[in-house]
Amino acid sequence: MKFFKKSDILIAAVLLIVSLGVYLVYDSIYGQSETRAEIYYYSELAKTVELNSGETGNFSISQEPDVVFHISDDGTIAFVESDCPDKVCIKTGALDSVGQYAACLPNGVVLKIVPAGERNVEDPDIVVGR
Amino acid sequence: MKRKYIPILIVIMIALLVTACGGPKKNRYEAQFLVLFDTATTVIGFAETEENFSEMANLVYDELKIYHQLYDIYNDYDGINNIKTINENAGIAPVVVDKKIIELIRFSEEAYEKTDGQVNIAFGSVLKIWHDYRELGIDDPLGAKLPTMEELQKAALHTDIKGIIIDEAASTVFLPDPDMRLDVGGIAKGYAVERVSDTLVEEGYLDFLISVGGNVRASGLRGDDRSMWKVGIQNPDIDSGKGDLFTASLTDLSLVTSGDYIRYYTVNGERYHHIIDPETLMPARYFAAVTIITEDSGMADALSTAVFNLPFEEGVDLVESFESTEALWVFHDGTQKESQGFKKMIGIQ
Repeated sequence: MKFFKKSDILIAAVLLIVSLGVYLVYDSIYGQSETRAEIYYYSELAKTVELNSGETGNFSISQEPDVVFHISDDGTIAFVESDCPDKVCIKTGALDSVGQYAACLPNGVVLKIVPAGERNVEDPDIVVGR
Repeated sequence: MKRKYIPILIVIMIALLVTACGGPKKNRYEAQFLVLFDTATTVIGFAETEENFSEMANLVYDELKIYHQLYDIYNDYDGINNIKTINENAGIAPVVVDKKIIELIRFSEEAYEKTDGQVNIAFGSVLKIWHDYRELGIDDPLGAKLPTMEELQKAALHTDIKGIIIDEAASTVFLPDPDMRLDVGGIAKGYAVERVSDTLVEEGYLDFLISVGGNVRASGLRGDDRSMWKVGIQNPDIDSGKGDLFTASLTDLSLVTSGDYIRYYTVNGERYHHIIDPETLMPARYFAAVTIITEDSGMADALSTAVFNLPFEEGVDLVESFESTEALWVFHDGTQKESQGFKKMIGIQ
């Protein structure tokens, strides 16, 4: 006695392929994006940093050495030092998800998180709330 | 047997094809300005070329700059009478102003009525005291002090919004009380965003998102896949390690948050933020953040300040008194409460 027919295998194979296809399409649309930080000095893109590369530590951009950023091993990035008076940039805290941003107005520096690859439909265009 | 599965594959293929075609391809662009309203402004749009997007972004910049200069209470601009000019002429003389200032004052009077006095642009003399102490405290943290209740109460005697005299025919504004000061910080950004948004629509730009320091106006839809704009509402507690509280799907709506985590100074280890309760004359302590969603960005801005200053139940009543308006409250212990239709309005069932 046979446990399965040839057509059963075909059905299983088709279902598997369809599921994989659906998963890939779904993930590309709704999945969590890999993230990248972009640092702007006024309107110029001064530096991009991949947040999921495992790199950690402090750094500055050449245009504004008094502003220091820190990347943590959990993939977050933050302003940690600035010579601005109100320190709003530092108070904004650590960023790690698409759409978040922090700005140091007196120094003309903006830090924002963007998708490392294609933007997914669920990625926020902007994140507000602090 | 095999044939039954063909439709499934076709459906998936069609779905893929549909996303791949449909009109000329539009790219997503973002522009950021750092010089307006003492905050970061973001403009997002979809266009076939960068030049097309830049035209829209430049229009936003040019228009916002007009409002920024007119509504400024700290700086002078050549040839412009702004709100600072009105304040400097309190008790002296009426000031001829652009009608955009008169319109803002009229809108603010309406907001005052609708919020039972919670939003009061004539509260400037009290806010100025807090502003000055905060600036001093930020510059010299060890010397940071609190204003005395006596000086706050004295200033609060000069906050009657009904005392503003407007002559629309002559286009003048006069503050007869020499100690009254206007402060439009809790309403002007949102109002300006709404007016600029109107201008964009008049010029034929229907799909865009503008954020002036978190005063977000989402118009139309994203220009590529016609999906709704997505606005993340961040956890106000920076150290909580929690991600966004919600991602709101918005079309033709405004979202504004008032929070106490960024603009503050510290006195004897305690934080004093910038949103001052008109009743207690002290920073309101009910919530870490309040988010308002409604169509009009100016009213969203005003309401977020008003609701931040009210106990929860009173805030709920106020929000419910406005049509198609919802709110999110985040308490200092991290708990959240939402108005009844909040989740539905942001596309979460």
